Amino acid sequence: MTDYGHDLLFGSFITPTNQDIEGVLELTRVSEAAGLDLATFQDHPYQAAFLDTWTLLSYLASRTDRIRLAGNVINLPLRQPAVLARAVASLDLLSGGRIELGLGAGGFWDPIVAMGGERLSAGESVRALAEGIEIIRGIWDADNHTRLVVDGSFHRVDGAKRGPAPAHDVGIWLGALKPRMLRLIGRSADGWLPSLGYLKGLQQIAESNMIIDDAALAAGREPAAIRRLLNINGQLSAQPSDRLLVGPPRQWAEQLAALALEYGVSAFILAGDDRDTLALFGQEIAPATRELVAAER
Amino acid sequence: MDYGQPLSFGATISPRNGARAAGDPLAPVVLAQRAERAGLDLVTVADHPYQPDFHETWTLLSWIAGSTDRIRIAPNVLNVPMRLPTVVARAAASLDLLSDGRLELGLGAGHYWEAMSAMGIKRLESAESVAALAEAIEILRDLWDTSKPGPLHFAGTYHRASGAERGPAPAHRIQIWIGAAGPRMLDLIGRVGDGWVLPGGTAGLARLADGNRRIDRAAVAAGRDPREIRRVLNLTGSFAPSSAVSSAVSSEMLSGPFALERFDGPPTQWVEQLVPLIVDGGISTVLLSGDDPAAIDVFAAEVVPAVREAVAVERAARGTTVRVVPPLRVRAARRDGIDYDGVPATLADDAVEPGDVRYGAVRSNYLRGGSPGLVLRPRTAEEIADAVTWARTQPVPLSVRSAGHGISGRSTNDGGIVIDVGHLRRIEVLDQASRRVRIEPGARWGEVAAALRPHGWALSSGDSGGVGVGGLATAGGVGFLGRAHGLTIDHVRAVELVLADGTAVRATEDENADLFWGMRGAGFALGIVTAFEFEVDQVGDVGFGQLTFDVSEDLPGFLVRWGAAVEASPRDTTSFLTMGPPRAGKTVAHTMNVVDSDDPDTVIERLQRLADIAPLAGQQALILPYDTLVSAPPRGGHQAAGEPVSRSGLLEHVTPEFAAAADRLLRSGTTYFFQIRALGGATTDVEPEATAFAHRSAQFSVVAMGASHDRIDPVWDAMRHHFSGLYLSFETDQRPERLLEAFPPATLARLRELKRRYDPDNVFRDNFPLASGVPDGAIGKATGRVS
Ligand SMILES: Cc1cc2nc3c(=O)[nH]c(=O)nc-3n(C[C@H](O)[C@H](O)[C@H](O)COP(=O)(O)OP(=O)(O)OC[C@H]3O[C@@H](n4cnc5c(N)ncnc54)[C@H](O)[C@@H]3O)c2cc1C
Repeated sequence: MTDYGHDLLFGSFITPTNQDIEGVLELTRVSEAAGLDLATFQDHPYQAAFLDTWTLLSYLASRTDRIRLAGNVINLPLRQPAVLARAVASLDLLSGGRIELGLGAGGFWDPIVAMGGERLSAGESVRALAEGIEIIRGIWDADNHTRLVVDGSFHRVDGAKRGPAPAHDVGIWLGALKPRMLRLIGRSADGWLPSLGYLKGLQQIAESNMIIDDAALAAGREPAAIRRLLNINGQLSAQPSDRLLVGPPRQWAEQLAALALEYGVSAFILAGDDRDTLALFGQEIAPATRELVAAER
Repeated sequence: MDYGQPLSFGATISPRNGARAAGDPLAPVVLAQRAERAGLDLVTVADHPYQPDFHETWTLLSWIAGSTDRIRIAPNVLNVPMRLPTVVARAAASLDLLSDGRLELGLGAGHYWEAMSAMGIKRLESAESVAALAEAIEILRDLWDTSKPGPLHFAGTYHRASGAERGPAPAHRIQIWIGAAGPRMLDLIGRVGDGWVLPGGTAGLARLADGNRRIDRAAVAAGRDPREIRRVLNLTGSFAPSSAVSSAVSSEMLSGPFALERFDGPPTQWVEQLVPLIVDGGISTVLLSGDDPAAIDVFAAEVVPAVREAVAVERAARGTTVRVVPPLRVRAARRDGIDYDGVPATLADDAVEPGDVRYGAVRSNYLRGGSPGLVLRPRTAEEIADAVTWARTQPVPLSVRSAGHGISGRSTNDGGIVIDVGHLRRIEVLDQASRRVRIEPGARWGEVAAALRPHGWALSSGDSGGVGVGGLATAGGVGFLGRAHGLTIDHVRAVELVLADGTAVRATEDENADLFWGMRGAGFALGIVTAFEFEVDQVGDVGFGQLTFDVSEDLPGFLVRWGAAVEASPRDTTSFLTMGPPRAGKTVAHTMNVVDSDDPDTVIERLQRLADIAPLAGQQALILPYDTLVSAPPRGGHQAAGEPVSRSGLLEHVTPEFAAAADRLLRSGTTYFFQIRALGGATTDVEPEATAFAHRSAQFSVVAMGASHDRIDPVWDAMRHHFSGLYLSFETDQRPERLLEAFPPATLARLRELKRRYDPDNVFRDNFPLASGVPDGAIGKATGRVS
């Protein structure tokens, strides 16, 4: 039973296919029109069927007004952390503070290596991500006048200029499942962004929360400083069911409210690329969930 | 030296983010939009990712692409060492796709190594950095080229790829311009570059003549034509009302280094300075830096048009040919018989030839592999006219393509020209009350269905949303709502087309009525349709039932019962039956049944009649919007190899004799896909003489697809006497007899008369061959017999 008390966010998880660009633009417009808070996109630069996610985010940010955008999650092994830091800051400045940074340690090493990236073990990739985050935060820390030095084993900067600072406090959300990553989140990230489909059950959310919270406390941070997000899949149907997110909007709202109140999840990001479902998610399910959670809180 | 490149003019904008000066982060975007409004061709942005006062350039360029419509964009120049080339390739292709082909790529080998290495980039010596850039360029081009087989393997000294998937292909042939000063870089440009970005300011001009010589030498040594390489000038200056020193270019200056003063002075003086740089110095792209909006306006309004005019005059006087010379790797892949240099200017930009990165996506069709020598991709009816007028003069095969689902229609070829009208795909409602809709040929039926749905309308087409409007609506259209609403061609009210001689005409019941008649059934032989007007139907949600029968016991009996049940069904019901060969002793028939009704009781009643004929192995029934039945897959080009083999027959009734023959066919193993589709109903309401699709009494259309004609033809030919004709869209047999089966004699005679009138030279010959095969005399005789 944890509720970290964050305001709720609702978002879409859109496939960045390059086979149907108009469809990608349309789903983003639908997300914004439905009042969703976030539109997010997976990043698999080794996937030739996808658009480059950073390019897409930048393009879409210029064609939307209100909705926030994020990679879900950006593949660090194929990007230079210091350049990524400036790219994120740039886009956040251009968009008036609408960018968040979903970030991942990488998982599919064969295609990463195929693209010219380096193969890392699981442990190494977590360390590389930690170094990357340090560099990114160091670059964003524009008011800090000390020399920026991160002498990592995987990423190094030495005397790189700091700045620009993003327009708002960009959240670094890590896609993570395993304890090492969860502890990294507790130490230095702003959010945890797993996918429901990869979790063994809701119990794993509770267990992971504990690991994150412990690591946060050990690092002198408030567990509530870390937002818990969740990529979800679901099916709208007229008939209620006893399955998670298979049923009518009302059932979704009740189940999402329970996830918020009992498991501390405060952002729900819906996959499936279906415009009607996204519209309903933003227009009906999100407000109903918010109402239920507000009443209970 | 003038390389005869078409001129382009632009602005170079610094990517200032305003963060420290509390400036507007969008200021560079506003300038880019200003440049677009002012009419410039190009906006470029410098890239210094180590500089905290600047936006990261790729992000900014992507944003600019999203907030402009027309102007081209380019990094000037992208710092390659700070990025992974494979990711740059994907990002560039993505931005080109998102911006509809507006990206060019300026690349640099890295310059400020101090700042770069502070960011964690490994420092390279100058020679190394050139070699690294050369590798990166190879990777970019190779990853973009989806026509190459297999993934990319590249083992360079600086960059590696080991099995990276190729693609996406960009929307156009992205030019790679290289920022260069030193001899090694100039040599690299000569070998592989599409452009040279001169160092800014007077330093660059001082090197112009020498640099050109060096590049040209390297180009020639590599077998290239120096005219492939664009020379790009970044200049700064001001339009001060008067200038203290006149800095007009003198001829002595031009023979040596271009030692120029700044561009300071009134626009007329800029013009005087620029013209010799172009016609003697080889510059063809001029970019104004300085971030001054007023200067951008003056440059665009007063300098650019005057320079264009003066250069045109000078080029004409000197006899300089102006044209784009494609890179050697493209020219080397050219096919004989096509005058590539003669492609009309309106089409040249978007044309795709072998060797082009886009070729992989346009060479083949959905069912047919191809290797055309040139694919023209017009965007307007006028451009289609240009395409036809030119293509007909080329002694090679000519194909017309809308969405590439042709079976009889050979909309790709080997070594010939394809006119692909896929860019014309608008769908617009002309009149709500009469449900009149204008649809361009490149639209696909899934898109049409989705666009009509909000109006509560539909237009019966077929069973597949990926099929194109152009190919189907010129031939027939046997669809899911056929018994309820007839063939697709029965809804055509007007056709706009380009004839073989390039003239555009409109055909309706009243205007060019004979042509209008022919366009509905054999339109592919008479012209290229640029738009159709249809009267579509009021259609709400429809019932869709999939019934699967185990027919192992008695296939012939089942077919007869199914045929009878379909004929006995009310018109609102259309049924398609699909079968493959028996598997493991079991024969299964799958039927898709569409009921034009959203009333569950009606739908169930209709499906029940059909379900009762044999034991069901599976069933599913839904009421859903029509467009979900025929949704279009994403547009991504086709990748087929080989040739489809398909036979067609039109059937009056499913007789026991036909059913027994079908049973034999399925057991023969010569067909992997066998289908009987219901016609009848509304399709029989139209008189046989009313359109060029004359077989109106047929209740069924039968198709069998096989692996080869050699195998399927003997079996199919033995069945021919069951058929009253054929639906040409499903027929690939090219023996002349087929023509008379597709068109009854009277229809064929009339079509040939139209063909002689409208396309006497047989320009449109990629589909059923009206002009050849059966001698006219035979038709005359046959006509006599029929009438
Ligand atoms: C998977 C699949 C399903 C099909 N289902 C059906 C169906 O249910 N019902 C049905 O009736 N047919 C069906 N067909 C056949 C289809 O209607 C024809 O093959 C049709 O020609 C495809 O149109 P297209 O524009 O996609 O083809 P393309 O390959 O682009 O063109 C085929 C031919 O049509 C002609 N043509 C194309 N565009 C124009 C134009 N603008 N002006 C004049 N002529 C032109 C040319 O001769 C060209 O060779 C199907 C085909 C496939 C591959």
